[in-house]
Amino acid sequence: MPFTITAPAPPVPIAYNGPSDSDSADSEGDIDMGPPSKRARLSTKSIVTPGEIVTDDPQWMRGHGTYTSPLTSAILSSVSGTLQKTNKLLSIAPLRARYTPEIGDLVVGRIVEVQTKRWKVDLSAPLLAHLPLSAINLPGGILRKRTSTDELAIRSFFSEGDLLVAEVQSMYQDGAASLHTRSLKYGKLRNGVFLAVSGTGGGGGVVRARRQVWTVLTGNGGGEVDMVLGVNGYIWICKHSRGELVEGKGGAQVSIMRIEDVVGESMYSNRNDEIGPATRREIARLSGVVRALVERGVRVDEEMVMRGYEASLEGEETDYEYGEAGGENGEYLGGERGKRVVETALAAVHAARG
Amino acid sequence: MPLDTSTYHLSLLRLDGRRWNELRRLHAQISTQASADGSSYLEMGNTKIICTVSGPAEIRGGGRREGVERDNAVVNVEVGVAGFSGMDRKRRRGDKRTTEMQNTIASAFTSTLFTHLYPHSTISINLHILSQDGSLLAVCLNAATLALIDAGVPMKDYIVACTSGLTPPASTLGGSRGGNSETSDPLLDLNGMEEQELPFLTGAGGTVGGDVGGGGGWV
Repeated sequence: MPFTITAPAPPVPIAYNGPSDSDSADSEGDIDMGPPSKRARLSTKSIVTPGEIVTDDPQWMRGHGTYTSPLTSAILSSVSGTLQKTNKLLSIAPLRARYTPEIGDLVVGRIVEVQTKRWKVDLSAPLLAHLPLSAINLPGGILRKRTSTDELAIRSFFSEGDLLVAEVQSMYQDGAASLHTRSLKYGKLRNGVFLAVSGTGGGGGVVRARRQVWTVLTGNGGGEVDMVLGVNGYIWICKHSRGELVEGKGGAQVSIMRIEDVVGESMYSNRNDEIGPATRREIARLSGVVRALVERGVRVDEEMVMRGYEASLEGEETDYEYGEAGGENGEYLGGERGKRVVETALAAVHAARG
Repeated sequence: MPLDTSTYHLSLLRLDGRRWNELRRLHAQISTQASADGSSYLEMGNTKIICTVSGPAEIRGGGRREGVERDNAVVNVEVGVAGFSGMDRKRRRGDKRTTEMQNTIASAFTSTLFTHLYPHSTISINLHILSQDGSLLAVCLNAATLALIDAGVPMKDYIVACTSGLTPPASTLGGSRGGNSETSDPLLDLNGMEEQELPFLTGAGGTVGGDVGGGGGWV
Protein backbone atom coordinates (compact mmCIF):
# COMPACT_ATOMS: atom_id res chain seq x y z
CA MET A 1 0.00 0.00 0.00
CA PRO A 2 1.45 3.33 -0.97
CA PHE A 3 1.85 5.74 1.86
CA THR A 4 2.11 9.48 1.81
CA ILE A 5 4.13 11.75 3.99
CA THR A 6 2.32 14.91 4.83
CA ALA A 7 4.30 18.01 5.50
CA PRO A 8 4.46 18.94 9.17
CA ALA A 9 2.28 21.82 10.24
CA PRO A 10 4.20 25.06 10.60
CA PRO A 11 4.96 25.94 14.20
CA VAL A 12 2.54 28.36 15.75
CA PRO A 13 4.48 31.42 16.84
CA ILE A 14 4.00 32.27 20.46
CA ALA A 15 2.57 35.74 20.76
CA TYR A 16 4.23 37.12 23.81
CA ASN A 17 4.54 40.85 23.89
CA GLY A 18 0.91 41.24 23.04
CA PRO A 19 -0.30 42.32 19.64
CA SER A 20 2.80 44.06 18.35
CA ASP A 21 2.26 47.34 16.64
CA SER A 22 3.30 46.17 13.22
CA ASP A 23 1.94 49.24 11.49
CA SER A 24 5.23 51.06 11.00
CA ALA A 25 7.99 48.57 11.49
CA ASP A 26 7.12 45.67 9.23
CA SER A 27 5.11 47.25 6.46
CA GLU A 28 7.95 49.41 5.25
CA GLY A 29 10.71 47.17 4.06
CA ASP A 30 12.92 50.18 3.74
CA ILE A 31 16.02 50.21 5.88
CA ASP A 32 16.70 53.93 5.82
CA MET A 33 15.11 55.53 8.75
CA GLY A 34 14.39 59.02 7.54
CA PRO A 35 14.27 61.90 9.94
CA PRO A 36 14.39 60.76 13.53
CA SER A 37 11.36 61.29 15.67
CA LYS A 38 11.67 63.47 18.72
CA ARG A 39 10.98 60.74 21.21
CA ALA A 40 13.45 57.91 21.19
CA ARG A 41 11.97 54.72 19.93
CA LEU A 42 13.78 52.16 21.97
CA SER A 43 13.16 49.09 19.92
CA THR A 44 11.80 48.49 16.49
CA LYS A 45 10.85 45.13 15.17
CA SER A 46 13.01 45.40 12.06
CA ILE A 47 15.95 43.05 11.91
CA VAL A 48 19.25 43.94 10.32
CA THR A 49 22.03 41.56 9.32
CA PRO A 50 25.81 42.06 8.99
CA GLY A 51 26.89 44.49 6.34
CA GLU A 52 23.51 46.12 6.04
CA ILE A 53 23.36 49.90 5.95
CA VAL A 54 21.53 51.07 9.02
CA THR A 55 21.53 54.71 8.13
CA ASP A 56 23.25 57.20 5.82
CA ASP A 57 22.38 60.10 8.05
CA PRO A 58 25.54 61.55 9.68
CA GLN A 59 23.63 62.83 12.72
CA TRP A 60 23.47 59.39 14.34
CA MET A 61 26.12 58.01 16.62
CA ARG A 62 27.10 54.40 16.29
CA GLY A 63 26.82 52.07 19.26
CA HIS A 64 27.32 48.37 19.81
CA GLY A 65 26.86 46.08 16.85
CA THR A 66 27.60 48.71 14.25
CA TYR A 67 30.60 49.97 12.35
CA THR A 68 31.44 52.61 9.78
CA SER A 69 33.37 51.97 6.65
CA PRO A 70 36.09 54.38 5.59
CA LEU A 71 34.52 54.76 2.15
CA THR A 72 31.17 56.14 3.18
CA SER A 73 29.77 57.93 6.18
CA ALA A 74 27.02 55.35 6.52
CA ILE A 75 26.59 53.27 9.66
CA LEU A 76 26.54 49.56 8.93
CA SER A 77 25.43 46.69 11.08
CA SER A 78 27.97 44.08 12.19
CA VAL A 79 25.63 41.58 13.82
CA SER A 80 22.16 40.35 13.08
CA GLY A 81 19.62 41.68 15.49
CA THR A 82 17.13 44.36 16.26
CA LEU A 83 17.86 48.03 15.93
CA GLN A 84 17.74 50.09 19.09
CA LYS A 85 17.75 53.85 19.26
CA THR A 86 18.57 55.73 22.39
CA ASN A 87 18.39 59.44 21.65
CA LYS A 88 21.05 59.77 18.95
CA LEU A 89 22.76 56.48 19.58
CA LEU A 90 22.16 53.56 17.27
CA SER A 91 22.95 50.09 18.46
CA ILE A 92 22.04 46.59 17.38
CA ALA A 93 20.94 44.09 20.01
CA PRO A 94 22.07 40.73 18.63
CA LEU A 95 19.56 37.91 18.33
CA ARG A 96 22.03 35.50 19.84
CA ALA A 97 25.40 36.24 21.27
CA ARG A 98 27.78 35.15 23.95
CA TYR A 99 27.48 36.84 27.29
CA THR A 100 29.43 40.06 27.69
CA PRO A 101 30.08 40.92 31.34
CA GLU A 102 29.06 44.25 32.79
CA ILE A 103 29.81 45.66 36.22
CA GLY A 104 27.20 44.64 38.76
CA ASP A 105 26.03 41.51 36.96
CA LEU A 106 25.10 38.58 39.13
CA VAL A 107 26.71 35.56 37.54
CA VAL A 108 27.07 31.87 38.17
CA GLY A 109 30.45 30.52 37.21
CA ARG A 110 32.65 27.50 37.32
CA ILE A 111 36.26 27.48 38.49
CA VAL A 112 38.52 26.24 35.72
CA GLU A 113 41.95 27.18 36.99
CA VAL A 114 43.57 27.84 40.34
CA GLN A 115 46.51 30.22 40.43
CA THR A 116 48.56 31.45 43.36
CA LYS A 117 46.46 34.45 44.26
CA ARG A 118 43.35 34.07 42.15
CA TRP A 119 40.98 31.73 40.39
CA LYS A 120 39.98 31.73 36.74
CA VAL A 121 36.22 31.37 36.35
CA ASP A 122 34.27 30.28 33.32
CA LEU A 123 31.26 32.53 32.76
CA SER A 124 30.68 31.50 29.14
CA ALA A 125 32.05 34.92 28.22
CA PRO A 126 34.74 35.46 25.57
CA LEU A 127 37.37 35.53 28.30
CA LEU A 128 37.69 33.73 31.62
CA ALA A 129 36.88 35.90 34.60
CA HIS A 130 39.26 36.45 37.53
CA LEU A 131 38.35 35.93 41.13
CA PRO A 132 41.15 37.30 43.30
CA LEU A 133 41.75 35.71 46.67
CA SER A 134 41.27 39.17 48.15
CA ALA A 135 37.72 39.35 46.83
CA ILE A 136 36.23 36.45 48.73
CA ASN A 137 34.98 36.11 52.27
CA LEU A 138 37.74 34.41 54.16
CA PRO A 139 36.81 32.12 57.03
CA GLY A 140 37.22 33.38 60.53
CA GLY A 141 35.46 36.69 60.21
CA ILE A 142 34.72 39.10 57.43
CA LEU A 143 36.97 41.78 56.05
CA ARG A 144 40.10 40.07 57.25
CA LYS A 145 43.24 40.71 55.32
CA ARG A 146 44.39 37.72 53.34
CA THR A 147 47.52 36.06 54.57
CA SER A 148 50.07 33.76 53.05
CA THR A 149 48.35 30.90 54.86
CA ASP A 150 45.25 31.61 52.83
CA GLU A 151 47.32 31.57 49.66
CA LEU A 152 48.64 28.14 50.50
CA ALA A 153 45.17 26.87 51.28
CA ILE A 154 43.61 28.40 48.17
CA ARG A 155 42.21 25.10 47.04
CA SER A 156 40.30 24.69 50.27
CA PHE A 157 38.07 27.63 49.28
CA PHE A 158 37.50 26.87 45.64
CA SER A 159 39.10 24.21 43.50
CA GLU A 160 38.68 23.24 39.87
CA GLY A 161 35.11 22.43 38.91
CA ASP A 162 33.46 24.22 41.80
CA LEU A 163 30.45 26.35 41.03
CA LEU A 164 29.96 29.74 42.57
CA VAL A 165 27.69 32.71 42.43
CA ALA A 166 29.41 36.07 42.31
CA GLU A 167 29.09 39.64 41.17
CA VAL A 168 31.14 41.36 38.49
CA GLN A 169 33.18 43.92 40.37
CA SER A 170 35.21 45.49 37.62
CA MET A 171 36.30 45.00 34.05
CA TYR A 172 39.81 44.68 32.71
CA GLN A 173 40.95 46.52 29.62
CA ASP A 174 40.56 43.44 27.42
CA GLY A 175 36.98 42.80 28.49
CA ALA A 176 37.67 40.16 31.11
CA ALA A 177 35.64 40.43 34.29
CA SER A 178 36.89 40.56 37.86
CA LEU A 179 34.49 38.99 40.34
CA HIS A 180 33.88 39.26 44.03
CA THR A 181 31.95 37.16 46.51
CA ARG A 182 32.21 39.52 49.46
CA SER A 183 28.63 39.09 50.51
CA LEU A 184 26.73 36.31 52.15
CA LYS A 185 24.53 36.18 49.08
CA TYR A 186 27.49 34.97 47.05
CA GLY A 187 29.81 32.05 47.38
CA LYS A 188 30.11 28.39 46.66
CA LEU A 189 27.09 26.51 45.36
CA ARG A 190 25.93 23.12 46.54
CA ASN A 191 22.73 21.14 47.18
CA GLY A 192 21.34 21.62 43.71
CA VAL A 193 21.47 21.32 39.96
CA PHE A 194 23.18 23.38 37.31
CA LEU A 195 21.60 24.47 34.05
CA ALA A 196 23.19 26.33 31.17
CA VAL A 197 21.00 28.33 28.84
CA SER A 198 21.95 31.18 26.57
CA GLY A 199 22.47 34.44 28.38
CA THR A 200 21.30 37.92 27.55
CA GLY A 201 20.43 38.91 24.06
CA GLY A 202 17.51 37.85 21.97
CA GLY A 203 14.21 36.32 22.87
CA GLY A 204 15.23 33.45 25.10
CA GLY A 205 17.73 33.38 27.87
CA VAL A 206 18.22 35.03 31.21
CA VAL A 207 17.20 38.65 31.40
CA ARG A 208 19.38 41.25 33.04
CA ALA A 209 18.24 43.78 35.65
CA ARG A 210 15.49 41.81 37.30
CA ARG A 211 15.47 39.90 40.54
CA GLN A 212 17.77 36.99 39.97
CA VAL A 213 17.91 35.25 43.31
CA TRP A 214 14.73 34.24 45.01
CA THR A 215 13.20 31.46 47.03
CA VAL A 216 10.37 29.35 45.72
CA LEU A 217 7.93 27.82 48.15
CA THR A 218 7.34 24.63 46.22
CA GLY A 219 4.26 22.49 46.20
CA ASN A 220 3.96 18.77 46.90
CA GLY A 221 5.87 19.12 50.14
CA GLY A 222 9.08 20.11 48.43
CA GLY A 223 9.88 22.82 50.92
CA GLU A 224 11.80 25.93 49.91
CA VAL A 225 13.98 25.93 46.83
CA ASP A 226 16.40 28.69 45.82
CA MET A 227 16.71 29.81 42.22
CA VAL A 228 19.80 31.66 41.08
CA LEU A 229 19.64 33.03 37.55
CA GLY A 230 23.06 34.17 36.46
CA VAL A 231 22.98 36.87 33.79
CA ASN A 232 25.48 34.78 31.85
CA GLY A 233 22.89 32.08 31.31
CA TYR A 234 24.12 29.75 34.02
CA ILE A 235 21.36 28.78 36.42
CA TRP A 236 21.53 27.13 39.81
CA ILE A 237 18.52 25.55 41.48
CA CYS A 238 19.13 24.26 44.98
CA LYS A 239 17.57 23.42 48.28
CA HIS A 240 17.07 26.49 50.41
CA SER A 241 19.61 26.86 53.14
CA ARG A 242 19.54 29.30 55.98
CA GLY A 243 21.81 32.27 55.91
CA GLU A 244 23.01 32.06 52.34
CA LEU A 245 21.47 33.19 49.12
CA VAL A 246 18.76 35.03 50.97
CA GLU A 247 17.67 38.41 49.84
CA GLY A 248 15.20 40.46 51.82
CA LYS A 249 13.91 37.69 54.00
CA GLY A 250 13.69 39.10 57.49
CA GLY A 251 13.80 35.86 59.41
CA ALA A 252 16.87 34.54 57.71
CA GLN A 253 19.01 37.62 57.99
CA VAL A 254 22.24 36.76 59.66
CA SER A 255 23.32 39.20 62.27
CA ILE A 256 26.76 40.69 61.99
CA MET A 257 27.86 38.78 65.07
CA ARG A 258 26.97 35.40 63.67
CA ILE A 259 28.58 35.92 60.29
CA GLU A 260 31.73 34.34 61.59
CA ASP A 261 30.02 31.04 62.30
CA VAL A 262 28.22 30.90 58.98
CA VAL A 263 31.30 31.71 56.98
CA GLY A 264 33.38 29.31 58.95
CA GLU A 265 31.09 26.34 58.81
CA SER A 266 29.32 26.04 55.52
CA MET A 267 30.68 28.61 53.14
CA TYR A 268 33.31 26.46 51.52
CA SER A 269 31.94 23.04 52.30
CA ASN A 270 32.04 20.52 49.50
CA ARG A 271 29.47 18.27 51.05
CA ASN A 272 25.82 18.30 50.12
CA ASP A 273 23.16 18.39 52.80
CA GLU A 274 20.51 15.75 53.01
CA ILE A 275 17.88 16.51 50.38
CA GLY A 276 14.54 14.76 50.60
CA PRO A 277 12.91 13.08 47.61
CA ALA A 278 10.09 15.65 47.53
CA THR A 279 12.58 18.51 47.33
CA ARG A 280 14.57 16.74 44.63
CA ARG A 281 11.39 16.28 42.63
CA GLU A 282 10.52 19.97 42.84
CA ILE A 283 14.08 20.98 41.92
CA ALA A 284 13.76 18.74 38.88
CA ARG A 285 10.43 20.30 38.04
CA LEU A 286 11.85 23.81 38.24
CA SER A 287 14.72 22.86 35.97
CA GLY A 288 12.17 21.35 33.59
CA VAL A 289 10.28 24.63 33.55
CA VAL A 290 13.45 26.53 32.68
CA ARG A 291 14.28 24.06 29.92
CA ALA A 292 10.77 24.29 28.50
CA LEU A 293 10.97 28.10 28.50
CA VAL A 294 14.32 28.05 26.73
CA GLU A 295 13.14 25.50 24.18
CA ARG A 296 10.29 27.77 23.13
CA GLY A 297 12.48 30.89 23.08
CA VAL A 298 10.81 32.60 26.02
CA ARG A 299 12.84 34.83 28.30
CA VAL A 300 13.83 33.36 31.65
CA ASP A 301 13.12 35.57 34.65
CA GLU A 302 11.38 35.33 37.97
CA GLU A 303 7.92 36.01 36.63
CA MET A 304 8.09 33.48 33.81
CA VAL A 305 9.67 30.77 35.97
CA MET A 306 7.07 31.21 38.69
CA ARG A 307 4.15 31.23 36.25
CA GLY A 308 5.58 28.21 34.51
CA TYR A 309 6.04 26.43 37.78
CA GLU A 310 2.44 27.12 38.79
CA ALA A 311 1.28 25.92 35.38
CA SER A 312 3.28 22.71 35.71
CA LEU A 313 1.71 22.05 39.10
CA GLU A 314 -1.77 22.57 37.69
CA GLY A 315 -0.95 20.29 34.80
CA GLU A 316 0.00 17.57 37.19
CA GLU A 317 -3.28 17.78 39.07
CA THR A 318 -5.24 17.28 35.89
CA ASP A 319 -2.95 14.46 34.86
CA TYR A 320 -3.64 12.64 38.07
CA GLU A 321 -7.27 12.44 37.10
CA TYR A 322 -6.40 10.48 34.01
CA GLY A 323 -4.58 7.85 35.96
CA GLU A 324 -1.22 6.86 37.25
CA ALA A 325 0.68 7.57 34.04
CA GLY A 326 0.43 11.30 34.52
CA GLY A 327 1.92 11.07 37.96
CA GLU A 328 4.76 8.94 36.70
CA ASN A 329 6.26 11.58 34.47
CA GLY A 330 4.93 14.57 36.30
CA GLU A 331 8.33 16.27 36.37
CA TYR A 332 9.05 15.67 32.73
CA LEU A 333 8.29 18.90 30.93
CA GLY A 334 9.35 18.10 27.37
CA GLY A 335 7.31 17.84 24.23
CA GLU A 336 3.60 18.56 24.36
CA ARG A 337 3.51 18.99 28.10
CA GLY A 338 6.28 21.58 28.08
CA LYS A 339 4.47 23.43 25.33
CA ARG A 340 1.29 23.46 27.33
CA VAL A 341 3.07 24.68 30.44
CA VAL A 342 4.76 27.53 28.59
CA GLU A 343 1.53 28.56 26.90
CA THR A 344 -0.33 28.55 30.19
CA ALA A 345 2.44 30.62 31.77
CA LEU A 346 2.40 33.13 28.93
CA ALA A 347 -1.35 33.43 29.17
CA ALA A 348 -1.06 34.00 32.92
CA VAL A 349 1.51 36.76 32.40
CA HIS A 350 -0.78 38.35 29.85
CA ALA A 351 -3.73 38.19 32.18
CA ALA A 352 -1.70 39.71 35.02
CA ARG A 353 -0.66 42.63 32.86
CA GLY A 354 -4.21 43.24 31.71
CA MET B 1 10.22 27.18 -13.25
CA PRO B 2 9.61 24.68 -16.05
CA LEU B 3 12.31 24.46 -18.65
CA ASP B 4 11.20 26.14 -21.82
CA THR B 5 12.67 23.81 -24.41
CA SER B 6 11.30 25.77 -27.30
CA THR B 7 13.63 28.67 -26.69
CA TYR B 8 16.50 26.85 -25.03
CA HIS B 9 18.21 24.10 -26.92
CA LEU B 10 18.26 20.83 -25.04
CA SER B 11 21.85 20.14 -25.91
CA LEU B 12 22.84 23.30 -24.05
CA LEU B 13 21.58 21.88 -20.80
CA ARG B 14 24.06 20.49 -18.33
CA LEU B 15 24.25 16.93 -17.08
CA ASP B 16 21.77 17.58 -14.29
CA GLY B 17 19.41 19.58 -16.49
CA ARG B 18 20.48 23.04 -15.45
CA ARG B 19 21.20 25.93 -17.75
CA TRP B 20 24.62 27.53 -17.64
CA ASN B 21 23.68 30.15 -15.06
CA GLU B 22 21.43 28.15 -12.80
CA LEU B 23 22.29 27.29 -9.24
CA ARG B 24 21.43 24.03 -7.60
CA ARG B 25 18.77 23.85 -4.93
CA LEU B 26 19.87 25.75 -1.87
CA HIS B 27 18.58 24.73 1.53
CA ALA B 28 19.85 26.40 4.67
CA GLN B 29 19.03 26.14 8.34
CA ILE B 30 20.34 28.14 11.23
CA SER B 31 20.58 27.35 14.97
CA THR B 32 20.48 23.64 14.32
CA GLN B 33 22.42 22.69 17.44
CA ALA B 34 21.37 24.19 20.72
CA SER B 35 24.63 23.35 22.46
CA ALA B 36 26.80 25.34 20.08
CA ASP B 37 27.17 29.11 20.16
CA GLY B 38 26.20 29.15 16.52
CA SER B 39 25.34 26.47 14.05
CA SER B 40 24.03 26.01 10.56
CA TYR B 41 23.18 23.30 8.07
CA LEU B 42 23.59 24.03 4.38
CA GLU B 43 22.69 21.95 1.37
CA MET B 44 23.71 23.06 -2.08
CA GLY B 45 22.40 20.40 -4.38
CA ASN B 46 23.84 17.21 -3.00
CA THR B 47 26.64 18.86 -1.05
CA LYS B 48 25.58 18.89 2.57
CA ILE B 49 27.47 20.50 5.42
CA ILE B 50 26.91 21.06 9.11
CA CYS B 51 28.78 23.94 10.66
CA THR B 52 29.13 24.73 14.34
CA VAL B 53 30.84 27.75 15.82
CA SER B 54 32.05 27.94 19.37
CA GLY B 55 33.44 31.04 20.85
CA PRO B 56 34.80 33.57 21.06
CA ALA B 57 36.13 31.80 24.12
CA GLU B 58 39.41 31.68 25.95
CA ILE B 59 41.21 28.45 25.32
CA ARG B 60 43.47 27.69 28.19
CA GLY B 61 47.14 27.57 27.37
CA GLY B 62 46.49 28.37 23.73
CA GLY B 63 47.50 31.99 23.95
CA ARG B 64 50.37 31.64 26.32
CA ARG B 65 52.20 29.02 24.34
CA GLU B 66 52.91 31.48 21.58
CA GLY B 67 54.64 33.73 24.06
CA VAL B 68 53.13 36.92 22.73
CA GLU B 69 49.96 38.58 23.88
CA ARG B 70 47.43 38.47 21.11
CA ASP B 71 45.35 41.54 20.51
CA ASN B 72 43.02 39.78 18.13
CA ALA B 73 40.93 36.68 18.31
CA VAL B 74 42.23 33.66 16.46
CA VAL B 75 39.99 31.90 14.00
CA ASN B 76 40.38 28.14 14.07
CA VAL B 77 38.82 26.07 11.35
CA GLU B 78 38.44 22.34 11.38
CA VAL B 79 37.00 20.51 8.40
CA GLY B 80 35.84 16.96 8.94
CA VAL B 81 35.01 14.83 5.95
CA ALA B 82 32.63 12.02 6.78
CA GLY B 83 33.63 8.62 5.48
CA PHE B 84 30.29 8.16 3.79
CA SER B 85 30.26 11.57 2.15
CA GLY B 86 31.92 10.70 -1.14
CA MET B 87 31.80 7.98 -3.73
CA ASP B 88 34.72 6.06 -2.27
CA ARG B 89 35.22 5.53 1.37
CA LYS B 90 38.68 6.70 2.28
CA ARG B 91 40.47 8.09 5.26
CA ARG B 92 41.41 11.65 4.67
CA ARG B 93 42.90 12.75 7.95
CA GLY B 94 45.62 15.22 7.34
CA ASP B 95 44.65 15.46 3.74
CA LYS B 96 46.42 18.30 1.91
CA ARG B 97 43.20 19.41 0.29
CA THR B 98 41.36 19.57 3.59
CA THR B 99 44.21 21.45 5.21
CA GLU B 100 44.27 23.96 2.41
CA MET B 101 40.53 24.45 2.73
CA GLN B 102 40.88 25.03 6.48
CA ASN B 103 43.54 27.66 5.93
CA THR B 104 41.55 29.38 3.20
CA ILE B 105 38.42 29.57 5.33
CA ALA B 106 40.36 30.73 8.38
CA SER B 107 42.08 33.53 6.52
CA ALA B 108 38.82 34.57 4.86
CA PHE B 109 37.05 34.94 8.18
CA THR B 110 40.02 36.47 9.98
CA SER B 111 39.74 39.37 7.58
CA THR B 112 36.00 39.82 7.80
CA LEU B 113 35.31 39.19 11.48
CA PHE B 114 35.98 41.93 14.01
CA THR B 115 38.63 39.92 15.76
CA HIS B 116 40.05 42.97 17.54
CA LEU B 117 36.98 42.99 19.80
CA TYR B 118 38.01 39.70 21.37
CA PRO B 119 41.67 39.75 22.40
CA HIS B 120 43.21 36.51 23.68
CA SER B 121 40.22 34.45 22.61
CA THR B 122 39.56 31.89 19.94
CA ILE B 123 36.67 31.47 17.55
CA SER B 124 36.50 27.90 16.36
CA ILE B 125 34.57 26.90 13.30
CA ASN B 126 33.85 23.20 12.84
CA LEU B 127 32.64 22.04 9.47
CA HIS B 128 31.33 18.55 8.93
CA ILE B 129 30.94 17.48 5.34
CA LEU B 130 28.12 14.96 5.24
CA SER B 131 27.82 14.62 1.51
CA GLN B 132 30.02 15.97 -1.24
CA ASP B 133 28.98 16.81 -4.74
CA GLY B 134 31.17 19.65 -5.85
CA SER B 135 31.63 23.27 -4.71
CA LEU B 136 32.94 22.09 -1.34
CA LEU B 137 34.87 25.24 -0.49
CA ALA B 138 32.01 27.48 -1.51
CA VAL B 139 29.48 25.59 0.57
CA CYS B 140 31.87 25.53 3.54
CA LEU B 141 32.26 29.31 3.38
CA ASN B 142 28.54 29.87 3.07
CA ALA B 143 27.74 27.51 5.93
CA ALA B 144 30.39 29.12 8.14
CA THR B 145 28.98 32.58 7.41
CA LEU B 146 25.54 31.44 8.51
CA ALA B 147 26.86 29.84 11.68
CA LEU B 148 28.91 32.92 12.57
CA ILE B 149 25.89 35.16 12.12
CA ASP B 150 23.97 32.80 14.36
CA ALA B 151 26.74 32.97 16.95
CA GLY B 152 26.47 36.74 16.95
CA VAL B 153 30.12 37.32 16.14
CA PRO B 154 30.48 40.84 14.72
CA MET B 155 31.58 40.86 11.11
CA LYS B 156 32.02 43.38 8.34
CA ASP B 157 29.93 41.56 5.84
CA TYR B 158 28.62 38.22 4.72
CA ILE B 159 31.11 36.00 2.96
CA VAL B 160 29.32 34.37 0.10
CA ALA B 161 30.98 32.00 -2.30
CA CYS B 162 30.19 30.14 -5.48
CA THR B 163 32.11 28.18 -8.07
CA SER B 164 32.21 28.85 -11.75
CA GLY B 165 33.72 26.70 -14.46
CA LEU B 166 34.51 26.91 -18.10
CA THR B 167 33.38 24.49 -20.80
CA PRO B 168 35.79 23.57 -23.56
CA PRO B 169 35.11 25.52 -26.78
CA ALA B 170 32.34 24.09 -28.95
CA SER B 171 34.68 23.51 -31.85
CA THR B 172 36.76 21.04 -29.93
CA LEU B 173 33.71 18.91 -29.35
CA GLY B 174 33.11 18.33 -33.07
CA GLY B 175 30.36 20.89 -33.43
CA SER B 176 27.76 18.66 -31.88
CA ARG B 177 26.59 21.33 -29.48
CA GLY B 178 23.59 23.52 -30.23
CA GLY B 179 25.47 26.75 -29.75
CA ASN B 180 27.32 28.27 -32.64
CA SER B 181 30.01 29.99 -30.61
CA GLU B 182 33.64 29.20 -30.99
CA THR B 183 34.38 30.40 -27.49
CA SER B 184 34.01 28.38 -24.32
CA ASP B 185 31.00 28.97 -22.11
CA PRO B 186 31.01 29.74 -18.43
CA LEU B 187 29.10 27.57 -15.98
CA LEU B 188 27.81 28.53 -12.57
CA ASP B 189 27.84 26.31 -9.49
CA LEU B 190 29.52 23.12 -10.66
CA ASN B 191 28.44 19.79 -9.32
CA GLY B 192 30.76 16.91 -8.60
CA MET B 193 30.85 15.48 -12.10
CA GLU B 194 31.44 18.82 -13.76
CA GLU B 195 34.13 19.63 -11.25
CA GLN B 196 36.08 16.55 -12.29
CA GLU B 197 35.97 17.46 -15.96
CA LEU B 198 36.25 21.20 -16.12
CA PRO B 199 38.57 23.89 -14.85
CA PHE B 200 36.84 25.88 -12.16
CA LEU B 201 37.32 28.68 -9.69
CA THR B 202 35.70 29.39 -6.36
CA GLY B 203 34.83 33.04 -5.92
CA ALA B 204 34.06 34.47 -2.54
CA GLY B 205 33.41 37.93 -1.31
CA GLY B 206 31.20 40.30 0.53
CA THR B 207 28.24 42.18 -0.74
CA VAL B 208 29.63 45.58 -1.62
CA GLY B 209 28.05 48.54 0.04
CA GLY B 210 25.95 46.39 2.27
CA ASP B 211 23.30 45.80 -0.39
CA VAL B 212 22.32 42.44 0.99
CA GLY B 213 20.11 40.43 -1.26
CA GLY B 214 20.61 42.85 -4.08
CA GLY B 215 23.47 40.88 -5.51
CA GLY B 216 26.43 43.15 -5.05
CA GLY B 217 29.63 42.79 -7.00
CA TRP B 218 32.44 40.42 -6.25
CA VAL B 219 35.41 41.84 -4.49
